[in-house]
Amino acid sequence: MAPELDPIEIVQPPIEAVAMRTTDALEPGFEVQLPTFSGPLAVLLHLIESRQLDVLTVPLAELADAYVAHLAEHPVDPAQLAEFVAVAAQLILIKSHSMLPGEVPPVSADAADEPDEEELRRRIVEYRALRDAAHALGERDLVAPMHRREPRESDLPVANVGPLPVVLLTDAMRALAAIPEPEPAPPEIMAREITIAMQITVLRAALAAGGRVVLQQLLASCRSRTEATVTLLATLELVRRRQVRVRQRELFGPIVVETLA
Amino acid sequence: MTAADDLGAFLEALLFIAERPLSSAELAELAGVPRPQAEAALASLAKDLIEGRRGLRLQGMDDAWQLATAPEVGQRLAAYAAREEARLTAAALEALAVVAYRQPCTRGEVERVRGVDSDYVLRSLLHRRLVVEMGRRDTPGRPILYGTTFTFLERFGLTSLDDLPPIEESTTPTLPAAEEQEPVDAG
Repeated sequence: MAPELDPIEIVQPPIEAVAMRTTDALEPGFEVQLPTFSGPLAVLLHLIESRQLDVLTVPLAELADAYVAHLAEHPVDPAQLAEFVAVAAQLILIKSHSMLPGEVPPVSADAADEPDEEELRRRIVEYRALRDAAHALGERDLVAPMHRREPRESDLPVANVGPLPVVLLTDAMRALAAIPEPEPAPPEIMAREITIAMQITVLRAALAAGGRVVLQQLLASCRSRTEATVTLLATLELVRRRQVRVRQRELFGPIVVETLA
Repeated sequence: MTAADDLGAFLEALLFIAERPLSSAELAELAGVPRPQAEAALASLAKDLIEGRRGLRLQGMDDAWQLATAPEVGQRLAAYAAREEARLTAAALEALAVVAYRQPCTRGEVERVRGVDSDYVLRSLLHRRLVVEMGRRDTPGRPILYGTTFTFLERFGLTSLDDLPPIEESTTPTLPAAEEQEPVDAG
């Protein structure tokens, strides 16, 4: 009796990688109301990060509750929701660091991202200058716009809409008739799409009869190399889920797939 | 009428019928004069338009020139010319300000100054044609460089980037410590 094969761990790529990113939503919406601070959440984070406000004085649970209450009364804007989660996570992280005694914030791999006091100060000044500039721009937005010459209707190309001679139509018809019928499309031009889930169904159906099946026979019934590959992957997937067991008594011998009770 | 006036009038007419901004080289060639002469004529045209309190202004960017209506009449023209446009959001204005004052600049620079992901907001600015890709920086990753457009100048009533409101650059001394340490009212 050959030693039992260990179940194989398959690291499979995520099937649906959902790209999450935070979009900024600095629009006024949710305003934080705390004993020590009231205003937009982004400003709160800014104050805490610039150490103008002690994070320990900010009750994060109340903040979250207030936001949930806010959501109940306002339409949910996914961008703002994402922004809140991002900022709140940042606040939790900062607060966790500051609550642990003697804990210094870990130096991240890219230490350049961990600005020192002086750098932080410089960045705040830089940001304020930007914010003021943005504000000044906003004051001008659409206030005294300049316009360039609009293209006139007469600038647009005009179709020649005079009556057309009938002979054009008959000529066109004749030309169409002269075009040979297209060759029938060669078979197998479409990619056959076979998924692991589909082949798991096939495998389960095969196993349903006697609880065991010889993998080579299953693979022999596959119509393409892709189908065979996916069938093998489906087998490995079931092994990973510990739903089947795979045995091979001798080298190049039959590989028996068995249902595990 | 002097030859110089004649050149100015010709350039003004040329810019009036042009469907796109023209470079000083194009203007010089069309006018059949050397480029410095065309540039001088452009400068005096710009001055005449302002001093004569005319309805048009010469608008220029990166040596591309166009005639646009004067900002002073922009509001009243809006009834005829403008499409319904929403004001820009605070986030969009911030990103736009970084691009406008630092151009050409990358998304990374916008994000570094703003401290938040700015991909979405930059894309909306691209979509509104307020910023445009201006090539790539020759650094690792070859990041895309962004700059502002004529649409930007028009929207904010600027005849050129030199008209941007002056900005307090970060070279200014840091803020007084008092303000930084201002006690937060605990009431």
